Amino acid sequence: MKKDRMETPPLRKRGQLHITETIAVLFIFFVLVFFGLLFYSKYQKISLAEKQEELLGERAMETTLKTLFLPELGCSKGEAEQEDNCIDLMKLEAAQKTFSEHINDYYFGIFSYANITVQELYPDSARSWTLYDKLKTKTLEDGTVVKDWERKEPTYFVVTLRDESQGRVQYRFGYIVVEVYS
Amino acid sequence: MTPKQGQVEVTFNWVYVLIAGAVILLFFIGLVVRQKAVSEEQLSIEVVRIMESIFTGAGVSEKTKNFIDISGLAEYTLYFGCSNEVGEYGILGTSARAENAIDPFFAPKEIKASQLIVWSLPYRLPFKVIDFLFITSSNTQYIVLGEVPFATEFVNSTQGFNVQHLVSRQEYEQIDPGHNFQVRIIDTVGTTLTAGSGVPLLLQSLGNERVTGVSFGQGAVTYYSKNNENKWEQQGAAVPMVSLDEERDAAKYAAIFVADADMYRCNLKKAFRRLELINEVYGGKENEPGGKIQQLLNYYGGHPESLCKNPLVERQDNLVTALASHQRNAAACRLDASTCTNLIASARALRTANKALAELGDCITLY
Repeated sequence: MKKDRMETPPLRKRGQLHITETIAVLFIFFVLVFFGLLFYSKYQKISLAEKQEELLGERAMETTLKTLFLPELGCSKGEAEQEDNCIDLMKLEAAQKTFSEHINDYYFGIFSYANITVQELYPDSARSWTLYDKLKTKTLEDGTVVKDWERKEPTYFVVTLRDESQGRVQYRFGYIVVEVYS
Repeated sequence: MTPKQGQVEVTFNWVYVLIAGAVILLFFIGLVVRQKAVSEEQLSIEVVRIMESIFTGAGVSEKTKNFIDISGLAEYTLYFGCSNEVGEYGILGTSARAENAIDPFFAPKEIKASQLIVWSLPYRLPFKVIDFLFITSSNTQYIVLGEVPFATEFVNSTQGFNVQHLVSRQEYEQIDPGHNFQVRIIDTVGTTLTAGSGVPLLLQSLGNERVTGVSFGQGAVTYYSKNNENKWEQQGAAVPMVSLDEERDAAKYAAIFVADADMYRCNLKKAFRRLELINEVYGGKENEPGGKIQQLLNYYGGHPESLCKNPLVERQDNLVTALASHQRNAAACRLDASTCTNLIASARALRTANKALAELGDCITLY
């Protein structure tokens, strides 16, 4: 009898063993699920960042495209087609005022958060015009206004600048900088 | 006792495994179902985003026709709408949609096709105001009626579109929709489509909203659609055409591609809003002279001997007064369509004055 008791463990002990085993299995299962979720969330985070980067690049291109074809700036000649990649300086100077006055009620719908600057390179490299400037900002509790964007994507495009301010057509050379924020 | 206890234990283990297995299986099935719904939603959002990019590109690539393969979306219905100067488009039955308060786009209410056609034309009044974007599909059929120059021009300029030109009444009566999703009849003369007249027999099998018509006459466009009695029913009042009636008249083409009078008016208002702003660039505000014209005045003010001052400011129908009148008329037309004829008149006056300036040779023109 004594020998028999030694060979088969008591019922309660066997039950305890089973519970421990089950807990161990469940623990490993949840550990695996936890790691799975951890990897998945990490992957999602990375792909989200990549997507944001891609979208910002796309928005930068779209904003540049829209700027280059703005009827407010284009070099027109009567009924003829507008000159490609050309900005009329007289219109640009007038457009600065119109854009700043209607930045919230109209032009934000076209450019969103962006900065658009036209820089002359030749003959006068010191001349530049800020056409549109809308930064994403937030106001802190103490009233300080700070930037509220993480990334900035600048795009550059070479343009000719038509200057008629001296009574005849003169062409200058410059580039347009379109910076978009996210 | 022990073998019976063992049996109970084995049975319990199997029941336990079964329940646990079912719970785990349900968990993963739930995950898959949820992921599927999320993926579909993401796909529709992605599609709408791509549509936005396509429309931006097409909008600026003037006069270029884009034929876009959307066979992957053939099962989905794209919808277009416009109210209170805000356009909207997206995929029917999903939350994916885009709003646009800037660019006027002229499209049918619904498109379900394997090929999307996107085309843009500049809207001039008299200078370029904005690009009008036309959106249609390979299975939207356009039937042009009439033998006027515009009918030929439209057919020639829409190569690759689903367009058919009919000249006789007999041909009109025998129009066959085939496998097309919708049919739009374009009455260029304004005599065939009348309220109460019968819809061609073969078109009667299509739904009312799939058979529509547009009729041009007396400087206005009238919209029709099929009713339950298979007769043409006028949709709203005629909308005045605000254009200079040139070749490839963007306003006229827009009237053809847009679904109805409300969408047409709504999109035209977007153009008039832009016109107001461009007018400011050219001429400043009403009580605050400025803009490009002020720069011209400043320059020629310093050159009293210049002949350019005559068409610019001196003669009766000069550029300065024409622009001021154009500014007033643009604002009025946006608010009240009945005043839009004045806008056409001021656009013509502005074009004449600008031409007069250009014809002098050495003068700087306004546009």
